[in-house]
Amino acid sequence: MLASARTLFTDRRSTLRRLLRNPGAVVGLVLLSLLLLAALLLPPLLGSPLEQNLGVRLSPPSAAHLLGTDQLGRDVLSRVANGARLSLGLGFTVMLTSLVIGLVVGLLAGLLGGWWDEALMRLTDIFLAFPGLILAMAISAALGPSLLNVMIAVALVSWPTYARLIRAQVLSLREREFIDAARALGAAQGRVALRHLLPNSVAPLLVQASFDVGSAILTAAGLGFIGFGAQPPTPEWGAMVSETRNYISQAPWASSTPALAILATVLAFNLIGDGLRDVLDPRGR
Amino acid sequence: MVEGGGQLLLIYILRRLALMVFVLWGVTLAAFVISHVVPADPAAAALGNNAREEQLQDFRVKNGLDKPQVVQYAVYMGKLFHGDLGVSLRTQAPIAADLRQFFPATLELTLVAVVFAVLIGLPLGLIAALRHNRAPDLLARIFALVGGATPVYWLAILALNVFHERLGWLPGPGRIDAYSLAPPVRTGLVTVDALLAHDPEVFVDALRHLVLPGLVLGAFSAALLTRMTRSAMLEVLGQDYIRTARAKGLPGGRVVWKHALRNASLPILTVLGSLFGSLLTGAVLTETIFSWPGIGGYATSSAVSLDFPAVMGVTLVAGLAYSLVNLLVDLLYVGFDPRVSYA
Amino acid sequence: MKRTVSASPSAPVSRSLKARTLLALALALTVPLAAGQAGAQSARQTTLVLGGDFSDLITLDPGVSYEFTGSLVTGNLYDTLVGFEGNDLSKVRPRLASSWKVTPTSAGSQITFTLRSAKFSTGRPVTAADVVYSMNRVISLKSPSSFLLTDVANLKVGSVTAPNASTVVFSIPKTANPNIVLALLTFNVGGIIDSTEAKAHEQNGDFGSAWLRDHSAGSGPFVLNRWDRSSQVALDSNPNAFRRSVNIKRVILRYMLESSAQQTALNSGEIDVAWDYTPDAFNAAMSNSKLKALKTSTFQMAYLGMNSAKGQPFEDPRLREAVRYAIDQDGIIKSLLQGLGRKVQTIIPLGLAGSNPALPYSYDPAKAKALLAAAGKPNGFDVDFLVSTGSCSGGVPCQDLAAKIQADLAKVGIRANIKQMVNAELLTAYRAQKAPLIQVAWSPDYPDADGNGTPLADYNAHSLAWRNAWSDPAASKLAQSAAVEIDQAKRIALYKQLTELVVKSGPYAILYQPYKPVVTSSSVVGFVRNANGDVQFEKIAKK
Repeated sequence: MLASARTLFTDRRSTLRRLLRNPGAVVGLVLLSLLLLAALLLPPLLGSPLEQNLGVRLSPPSAAHLLGTDQLGRDVLSRVANGARLSLGLGFTVMLTSLVIGLVVGLLAGLLGGWWDEALMRLTDIFLAFPGLILAMAISAALGPSLLNVMIAVALVSWPTYARLIRAQVLSLREREFIDAARALGAAQGRVALRHLLPNSVAPLLVQASFDVGSAILTAAGLGFIGFGAQPPTPEWGAMVSETRNYISQAPWASSTPALAILATVLAFNLIGDGLRDVLDPRGR
Repeated sequence: MVEGGGQLLLIYILRRLALMVFVLWGVTLAAFVISHVVPADPAAAALGNNAREEQLQDFRVKNGLDKPQVVQYAVYMGKLFHGDLGVSLRTQAPIAADLRQFFPATLELTLVAVVFAVLIGLPLGLIAALRHNRAPDLLARIFALVGGATPVYWLAILALNVFHERLGWLPGPGRIDAYSLAPPVRTGLVTVDALLAHDPEVFVDALRHLVLPGLVLGAFSAALLTRMTRSAMLEVLGQDYIRTARAKGLPGGRVVWKHALRNASLPILTVLGSLFGSLLTGAVLTETIFSWPGIGGYATSSAVSLDFPAVMGVTLVAGLAYSLVNLLVDLLYVGFDPRVSYA
Repeated sequence: MKRTVSASPSAPVSRSLKARTLLALALALTVPLAAGQAGAQSARQTTLVLGGDFSDLITLDPGVSYEFTGSLVTGNLYDTLVGFEGNDLSKVRPRLASSWKVTPTSAGSQITFTLRSAKFSTGRPVTAADVVYSMNRVISLKSPSSFLLTDVANLKVGSVTAPNASTVVFSIPKTANPNIVLALLTFNVGGIIDSTEAKAHEQNGDFGSAWLRDHSAGSGPFVLNRWDRSSQVALDSNPNAFRRSVNIKRVILRYMLESSAQQTALNSGEIDVAWDYTPDAFNAAMSNSKLKALKTSTFQMAYLGMNSAKGQPFEDPRLREAVRYAIDQDGIIKSLLQGLGRKVQTIIPLGLAGSNPALPYSYDPAKAKALLAAAGKPNGFDVDFLVSTGSCSGGVPCQDLAAKIQADLAKVGIRANIKQMVNAELLTAYRAQKAPLIQVAWSPDYPDADGNGTPLADYNAHSLAWRNAWSDPAASKLAQSAAVEIDQAKRIALYKQLTELVVKSGPYAILYQPYKPVVTSSSVVGFVRNANGDVQFEKIAKK
């Protein structure tokens, strides 16, 4: 642990360099950059994702519509690019939210110990007792179909992993001498947490966060496919796959493009996560 | 020593079971709370567009929807202890009966999917580990990565379109051909029931219908298995005693099969829990596409029609099953490797 | 030291034994398969397979069933006293009743039915007592369709009597129209059940309802073989029926939720009839010589409801008219529905006496904008637009239709903010008068002009007019008088007045009257689906 902390903070440049030498991570970073660029630059350049042109419904890729049109004559590329903004935003927001919740819970459990620890860990267990999608589906169904509610649902499903991670880190680091030393010197619990525990936990958190963004996007798209999430005509990838699935024979581009976008995005984050793990914590493969 | 270890194990098991009961209680509470944060009127859901207000009110009273939440929860818990999960607002049938009816279909599908997952994932992972950093390893890793990132519902749609519609190699959605009458239900597994009814035609038909959804679901989970197998094997192969065995000149094959696999089986086992979760998730997303009358499709239809008793029932059962599987895996872990301490 | 592996001396024998066993096994599987194939072929010829989304099926008890699929199946399991034949919904024909008489009484009117001699699938004869039992149980069960007998026909337990085993008398109060009662009795709620069988399976006073959910005890052309939920419904022909099924011995309704799956299955011959083709696929099917694409009529109506209460966006009638001018109906019908809809603007469906085919609103965005300006909204306004998930009438996805309407409204300055929600939630909001603008469909409960007239025009009926907070005393009066008017000519005149009034100032923008597309294989002969949704399976043959 000590080694990884040093690796991360004192040898930041060396970490980055090692990451860049990892072929998987490079592919992931390149892919992610392309997606980000597409999400940021394409929408203003292309036509509206909402504009209907019933005369050219389900038309194949052409000069006017680079990836064809869907069942209402809307430009598929434009919809997918706008959907990228939505999904990437969703992924990061959900990851940050669940990270914060998990952090708080994990820190409290690890630092306070005893009864608090038991109670919080049982709470975590309860959330972890369900397969993710099923719990997210139940929560989304209860709250109603909307983008915000899907984000809440997926965040509620993801935080337990962080809580457990943090708590494990806290428990293992608590016993370290330098913590005792800091405490002996009179540092308050909170300060101890912030200055010493957190930096040492960053490595596994970063890895988890990377996977988490991809997982959040995949789960949200799954919910979108079922019908929860962003409401039409908002272009959400999962919903797009669902809307156009009956046209798979006559217009495969309409459902395949958003599906491949999901694939590429999740793949990118998984590759980056793998790379980070190889570099920061090679034993935990 | 052995007695002491045995006692510790027993205490561990009891403690885990107690914890599981507590967690399950929390699960029922969570499910209840979730399902009652409802903006929609379940009576309107069940009775439809043209129902009159008196009918809606009758429905509410009949289903106890007009009582306070606490009372509803108490009633629910009471029924739960008798195995009564309530009545589905959508199908008007007892949820426990619904689940019993739909469970075998998912079970049959999941079993086939597991077979495919193991047949694909295990060898791939092994080959990847044995040919570390060479072409097979790379291909296996690509498969694992892409498989883990693909939306499984799209895979299902694509697979149906390619293998059924365009190529005609495999049959379409459903457990048997549309014009066949299903065999009398004995186990709920159409293949087994067909054999019991001495109907080889339907047996073959059912098997053929299991291939595509089984493959789709299995492939999705195989990616996970490939990853875990590969990393577990790599870890074990890198260990000293393996290198020693190799140095001693034992044939490569024997080294792998006798020592490495046995020791890698432990971490591979731990992935069974996640595999189960992955299969459940996959079932939810693909059963509708394959018109498969299973729990996954039931969960989706219930959620979409805001049938909260049913959503709660399915979530509860899924949570229970998932917890049991994880508990089982943990216990097997302990059983396999007594060195692991669970104080 | 390499250990040699020697071939065991018994190897050749054991290998051939294995081979022979395998061969025997293969033969064992293929011979019955081959023989089975021959048997299967002839069975296939007399089996009608329908593929569709039959997930709305909740029960097969004819007195309780209220969903489309329920009606479809129970109509073939049970006989009603009177029925419609084929596509003609203007005249009720004899079915279990060979004849009837309508006579006025001091309290209202009386219908006397004479029963024909018929037998249930159980072997017992159909008697008047069974009819009385069947009617009374519907009234007592308070099921979703009970209101047809209690509220519309105003019947009570005791209104239906059996003076002898083959005569049934319905005593109807003045507040109900005997012609409407006759129309009502054609529905599955009028299905006659074997009372002895039902009583034998009664539990806790449920009139056998739990058992009848998945068993049948009727005199119809088919009996229920099995119902595997979410999988299939199988019907076998009833040898005792008077409406005997000559060519079809078995009907299988196979759940196929995905339209694309139905299309593939129909093309490959796995099913004979597909129930849920999308408009695009239907279009393609029309030019396919191996298929028959049938545009069957419905009495359904897809419409926009505009909340007209004080303070709501559509309080001013000019704004409601503006919406009617702003919707591009032709575009919707041509492109989204691919022709699977009829352009209607008045509230009585085409095909019913009293309907009005007038189309006073042309597609005129400029006029719409002018009306908005006149109503004091020159810059348009925002409004929440409630839409359902899933498929809307005509086979078009609700969100696609909503997106088109949103675009049409945007062109005249009305910014509709789509809120898609599950049907349950949608209806809850609608019923509570909380839907400012809603896209929804309506189907009359019975094939009569009043099935739409009262709910849509009479505020006091607490139905659609009420949900849109539209109260017009003139409209209410017209609806109420037309409902009970016995003279056909006078009735039609009243409905003309009513439809003209509503189309000018009502809270509805009718979108279209959908066709229900049904596609069958070209070998299916005699398949007719009437506007009520009934299909008489016994009239079908496969060549």
